[in-house]
Amino acid sequence: MLAPPGASFALFLRSFMSGVILQAINGISLAALLFLLASGFTLTFGLMRVVNMAYGAYYLLGGYIGYSVARRTGSFELAILCGGLTIVVLGFFVDRFLIRPIGHNHLAQVLLTVGVAFVIGEVCLAIWGGDNLRVAIPPWLRGGMELPGGLFYPKYRLALIVLGTSTAILLWLLYHKTHIGAVVRAGVDDREMVNATGINVDRLFALVSALASFLAGLAGVVGGAFLTLNPGAEWDILVLALVVVIVGGLGSLEGAILGSIIVGLLDAYGRWLLPEFSYFVLFGPMAVLLLFRATGIFGKEQ
Amino acid sequence: MTARVLLLVAALAIAAALPSLVGEFWVTLLTQIMIFGLLALSADLLLGHAGLFSLCHAAFFAVAAYTTAILQVRHGVSTALAAPAGILAGTILSFVFAFAVRTRGVYFILITLAFGYIIWGVAYRWASFTGGDNGVTNVPFPAIGGLRVAGPTQYYYVVLVAVVLIALAYRVLITSPFGLTLRGIKSSESRMRSLGYDVGSHLYVAFVLSGLIASIAGVLYVYYNRFINPVAASFPVSVEAVLMAIVGGTGTILGPFLGSGIILVLRNWVSGFFHYYTAVLGIVFIVTVLFAPQGIMGLVARWRAGNRGEGA
Amino acid sequence: MSPAAIAVDHLSKVFGGLRAVDDASLSVASGERRVLIGPNGAGKTTLFNCIAGTLQPTSGRVLLFGDDISRLAENRRAARGMGRTFQISNVFADLTVFENLMLSIIGADGRKWIMHRPVSRFTAERAQALDSLVKVGLADRADETVKFLSYGERRQLELALALNVDPKVLLLDEPCAGLSPSERQRFSQLVAGLPRAITLMMIEHDIDIALALADRVTVLHHGKIILDGTPDEVRANAQVREVYFGRA
Repeated sequence: MLAPPGASFALFLRSFMSGVILQAINGISLAALLFLLASGFTLTFGLMRVVNMAYGAYYLLGGYIGYSVARRTGSFELAILCGGLTIVVLGFFVDRFLIRPIGHNHLAQVLLTVGVAFVIGEVCLAIWGGDNLRVAIPPWLRGGMELPGGLFYPKYRLALIVLGTSTAILLWLLYHKTHIGAVVRAGVDDREMVNATGINVDRLFALVSALASFLAGLAGVVGGAFLTLNPGAEWDILVLALVVVIVGGLGSLEGAILGSIIVGLLDAYGRWLLPEFSYFVLFGPMAVLLLFRATGIFGKEQ
Repeated sequence: MTARVLLLVAALAIAAALPSLVGEFWVTLLTQIMIFGLLALSADLLLGHAGLFSLCHAAFFAVAAYTTAILQVRHGVSTALAAPAGILAGTILSFVFAFAVRTRGVYFILITLAFGYIIWGVAYRWASFTGGDNGVTNVPFPAIGGLRVAGPTQYYYVVLVAVVLIALAYRVLITSPFGLTLRGIKSSESRMRSLGYDVGSHLYVAFVLSGLIASIAGVLYVYYNRFINPVAASFPVSVEAVLMAIVGGTGTILGPFLGSGIILVLRNWVSGFFHYYTAVLGIVFIVTVLFAPQGIMGLVARWRAGNRGEGA
Repeated sequence: MSPAAIAVDHLSKVFGGLRAVDDASLSVASGERRVLIGPNGAGKTTLFNCIAGTLQPTSGRVLLFGDDISRLAENRRAARGMGRTFQISNVFADLTVFENLMLSIIGADGRKWIMHRPVSRFTAERAQALDSLVKVGLADRADETVKFLSYGERRQLELALALNVDPKVLLLDEPCAGLSPSERQRFSQLVAGLPRAITLMMIEHDIDIALALADRVTVLHHGKIILDGTPDEVRANAQVREVYFGRA
């Protein structure tokens, strides 16, 4: 029996609206993940003028390590810790022995860190193979929960939004409300001045770098639970993180927050509405933005 | 100067005689080296002369290749039309991507990286048009009028002639006033502006010219490989092109081809016994940046300067 | 009355919290030699950069022979006859002296777009380049790579570059900075010998050179113009003495 046309339109509208909301949450949860990666990248650039293209590989390696630790011990928390700390150590060696000798030459940094990423990628391939792997979600985060309005949504992604938001708040507070944050901000604005005030700039850099590395490894474990870990994933996530920092402006924490949200939402809606051209939806606005503001929304003139 | 000309003529003679001296394996490898050398040359017009590090040249390469392949395979268009169409398609794309020159330095690098990804994403996801992962297969050998390329050896000569002609045109371009303006921009953009130059429009034109060369390389590639898939548009292809230019020596004409030779021979040799070739490539990146940023041609120049007793 | 070569009208440039240039107004007559003096950080280079177009002023106008060029891009101002040198010598270090000059010669017209003839075939331009080298005393260095030149020689080259754009107005930012005393002498003679068809605006720290070359002097302090007058007036002014010469 045919339903009256009005009713089917109402049905369509309702399912469209729930699609819109669903994709919004998808987008925000991806934004949370991207923020974890992009914030480290942007602060490292802002403070140390280092472009590190190995961040995607850090994400992947951290994720794989978290995967293995979670399988071995069943502890998600331990997985995050191990994933994060491994990258802190790796990042330290890469910074000290590979990146530091080449100074501020961005081209050299890009090439070198791409090389590092290639090596890390192959090591991961050798150890974990080419299959799609997923980090096991801890039992208390499995399944879905009901949202107001009758939507059913995976608990894990909501937890991710909480994690991303609290990290953003924490970083923001650290950056704007603490003494160390003030020093970092001063360093982003004028490195020479910080040098001149006698603050141990090397140690400052190492600290920020370590934090960024930890976030990358953390992002890998956390992301590896709902996005797959596989060869090539390091570049997929890196490109998204790069668009975040381009749109938000290199060196800006606020930019990383805003950029993550924009990119996350564009990705989610793009995949939903125009799956074959989702990259256009993603990069189109970025290109248009750059035509008008070549350094991103919050970026500083170089 | 005449010594150089004689050397080049001798090299050309050897290149022409090569197919009768070595087996088909080397003929196809050399063809591949020339094609990717051309792609590296296109990236080097921007890098070595204008100082811009582009990571999207695989996009022009791939768009040209896909266009030609799709026209020949699915629509039966002849080479005489399909090849120029491919070059045109890639060049039109470079007109669009050239807006990246509104940025500099690291922003330019990141934006071209993202642009390259757009094309790779389209090649991969718009499967109904591009064939997705499977790509476009069974591309025939090129045939114009009555002339038909019968095999790899004949195609080697086609590519050799094309590359030599482009290299000559490239030489004219970089020794011309326009080429000098690019090097001026690379040396001091602020000085150029204060001398009245509209830096943006010079860089725009340079970008499109380099996109044109990359597109030609793409069309040459698709007839060489007889198959095209999204990998040709991927980030590793773009970044390898730049690496080839650097390893060989940026700012030169020979450098990108030397670099292409080194990288591709290395790949062929290593992948014979080591599965994880990409790690070796990564190490080449690291070693080159740390120890030989001027590439082979740079080492040669320093050796020559040393021999002449000049300061290095 | 013919319009002033350069006029600056209530120009301010603000960086964040800093007023680098604060409501500056001045007028330089055609053919005049105007020297800008003031202690470090007074805003002299910032003002220059606003006039040349490297920086956009926060408010105010810049006029070139009566035309409002405030919205004009730097390269368009150069094309209209504004030449400049920079505080830190700004030349093309990786190129040869000849290539440097070639760029300054062909910058004005369509020759810069030629793609089909090598630079070595442009004999008329080469002659013109050698000509300008003679004028600044660098005649025998045409094919040297600039990075091998001494700092003083680079300064001379930079002046040649600025002169080649056929400027009606020349902005010289501390042209003698970094030069030895004898080089300073030689350079200031060069500058003094420039034709009156070119209006000169100069930032200079060396008071003796400044007052010797100037028709009029403008004194800047904390971004504000505190005095605009003849060299004698400046010499006699008590505030200037305190600000510039020290607390004496």
